Amino acid sequence: MRTHVTIIDFKTAKPVEAEVFDEVTVDHFLEAQQEWRPIVLRAARELARRGARELIPQHLHWDWTSKAPQLNVLANIFYGVSYDGKLQGLMKVETVGEYCRCRLPEQDGKPLVYVDYLEVAPWNLKPLAEALGNTPRFKAVGSRLVEAAVLKSVEEEFKGRVGLHSLPMSEQFYLRVCGMTAVGRDVAKQNLLWLEYTPEQAGRFLSGVRKP
Amino acid sequence: MKFNTDPEWLERQAALEDNSYVSVGGFVWAVEELERRRPAAELTRAAFIRLLQLARRDRRLTLEQLSDKLDVELGELVGLETDEHYSPQPRTVKKIAEFLNVPAEKLFVLSGLTRAKDAHFEEAALRFAARSQPTEELSDEEHQALQDYVKFLCER
Repeated sequence: MRTHVTIIDFKTAKPVEAEVFDEVTVDHFLEAQQEWRPIVLRAARELARRGARELIPQHLHWDWTSKAPQLNVLANIFYGVSYDGKLQGLMKVETVGEYCRCRLPEQDGKPLVYVDYLEVAPWNLKPLAEALGNTPRFKAVGSRLVEAAVLKSVEEEFKGRVGLHSLPMSEQFYLRVCGMTAVGRDVAKQNLLWLEYTPEQAGRFLSGVRKP
Repeated sequence: MKFNTDPEWLERQAALEDNSYVSVGGFVWAVEELERRRPAAELTRAAFIRLLQLARRDRRLTLEQLSDKLDVELGELVGLETDEHYSPQPRTVKKIAEFLNVPAEKLFVLSGLTRAKDAHFEEAALRFAARSQPTEELSDEEHQALQDYVKFLCER
């Protein structure tokens, strides 16, 4: 699957055409590792130097390349967002597995699409770009990835139900921007916050119609 | 997949997102889990292949007929029955579960798509794979092994 979508160029504030695709290969992980990681590290060092510890990203320990050869083994689905051939965001979702069940009482036990991993390129993150004296390059890459997860859920006939464990710094994005429900902290998963979409919330996200 | 093409939606989302952190983690943890369960998955998959072969032969269906019956591509079924490293699509496993009338969750584990929660499940799968040897005709023993194992999957 390869679909054209628009994202927004930060400097011009104009929409530009990007691609969402699911043919993610080891090369994309190598690209993320080689191009993203040094930027994240430089920005983190700069933020630490300024004492802005609350802005230091919490995913510095992620190391994709050593694990990449095994990524095709099971039922994992990957999505990437690219602009002009350059990777802008990466997501891994699962449609079967122990996390693919709803926990919200009103939809308890129903199947959902589990977002296991989602990240955008560091040059699209304001705290990191600004730490290095830059402005971000593109807006709405994260929203496009969440949209892909919801659309996958609809495609699987899960009616838009999506679940994920958010890292602490990203919780506001999923609560405020995406409109998901915080179900609670998961002690079995580093006490991360578990969030879920109901079909109604997912529908509101897709259509942009906010709750009255 | 039909993405939203409304420019106003995009602008609103972009403004709300405000280039903030969106990270969802657990990635390394998940892949490490995969590494740990891989040997077990390969073993249970042998049982999955045998289960499918015996059930198909028990119903006297060719792979082609089964493909039509399940509405699953023939190549997917051939891959499943002939390549123990073949990773089936979740939809295919669901269809096979319906065909065998066993819980889909059990077949997800057996096919290696998800992990067994207890060692007994894997042990039973191994016993089944070892008990059921291929022959041209389904023997009474194979038939019994198949019936016993289907019963086991339904009961637990």
